[in-house]
Amino acid sequence: MPITSTRAPVFRAVTSCVPSGKFDNTAENPEFTKEEVEKVVRMAGVKTRHLADDSVCSSDLCLAAAKNVLATLEWSPDSIDAVIMVTQSPDYFLPSTACLIHRDLELRSGCAAFDVGLGCSGYPYGIWLASMMLQSPGFRRVLVLHGETPSKFTEKSDRSVALLFGDAGSATALESKDEDDGSKWWFSLNTDGTGAGDLIMKGGGFRERFPEELVKNFVYMNGANVFNFTIKRVPPLIEETLIGAGVDRSGIDYFIFHQSNRFIMRHLAKKAGIPEDKMPITIDRFGSTGGPSVPLTLAQGAMERPVDRALNLLLLGYGVGLSWGSALVDLPPQAVLNHIEI
Amino acid sequence: MKMNTETALKWIAEVFNESPGGITPETNREDIPEWDSLGVLTLMADLDEKFDILLTADQMGAMTKVNDILEVLQQHQKLSPAN
Repeated sequence: MPITSTRAPVFRAVTSCVPSGKFDNTAENPEFTKEEVEKVVRMAGVKTRHLADDSVCSSDLCLAAAKNVLATLEWSPDSIDAVIMVTQSPDYFLPSTACLIHRDLELRSGCAAFDVGLGCSGYPYGIWLASMMLQSPGFRRVLVLHGETPSKFTEKSDRSVALLFGDAGSATALESKDEDDGSKWWFSLNTDGTGAGDLIMKGGGFRERFPEELVKNFVYMNGANVFNFTIKRVPPLIEETLIGAGVDRSGIDYFIFHQSNRFIMRHLAKKAGIPEDKMPITIDRFGSTGGPSVPLTLAQGAMERPVDRALNLLLLGYGVGLSWGSALVDLPPQAVLNHIEI
Repeated sequence: MKMNTETALKWIAEVFNESPGGITPETNREDIPEWDSLGVLTLMADLDEKFDILLTADQMGAMTKVNDILEVLQQHQKLSPAN
């Protein structure tokens, strides 16, 4: 497993954004019996979720988050050098959703804007990509946006996913340091394409644009295969990232997991020797929101933040692809964490 | 960790929320209500946590009765021989 590093940029702000429409999983549901719901809720740990209505896309959630970040930091749109939109629920196949956001934020023409088509692993990948750009001359401020509306590609009667997914967007503002102080961020980025069929939405793309079977327009998940993948890959991901960075696990303040499923996360924590108080949970309130669950958990995971030092965080994304990644980063006390609803 | 068959059956009953004496090696999967898609994940997790056995979805899907679980334990030398 390759471990790589970049010069450490600075987290300036993270804002998460969810739709205001809240759905209580335990409320009466015409698709499932009360017992079925209780079983799923108990296992997955999802009590409530925020769901976007027809008028709200990932871009809207990320745009609101980005505006909040710019206002909080008093950054002028002209000062943004790149915007990266990580999503698998884009507004359109073309143009990139990042270009729509570029338009709506009124960014300058010299600003790079592009999409990254990753889901659950998307945040560590997005942070890595931004960190790489920030090592290059001419890139000083980068926005990493990560948004998904998985509720829109979930078939309502599919018990494996219908009560699990919620919608969320986020904006992360990273800035390069004035001088290289030798500090590094560490990353591990991995793929197993043979698992592509275990979490897939077959219809709508160019392989099968207008499928006759409507179910192909919704996500299919082989729960057992995805579980097997998670158990096999995530504990070594943690171990090898820490070894590669020369950091002991006791030096990590929090492990920010992609909020896949509470049962699976608990199992991972046990297997990886992580105490539960170092693993913030947000799946109970927001559901599994795909990759944006990582920045959402940064903003809403109730981390204790000392005023005199940065937090050392290990960010972990794993899932669709199959793809998995880690980012070992520091969050300074001055970084602003916000959460909004639209 | 190694266990005898009686203890293994008690463990399997616990995984599927069955009464301790409620299952035998011949009990079929369809006669255990909680041995459904969620029960499969619970079983996978317990096999991994207690015995360090990680099965694939196909291997899990191939199990149709309790004895199949016992055989997995046997293959991984986690089941003591019968007295």
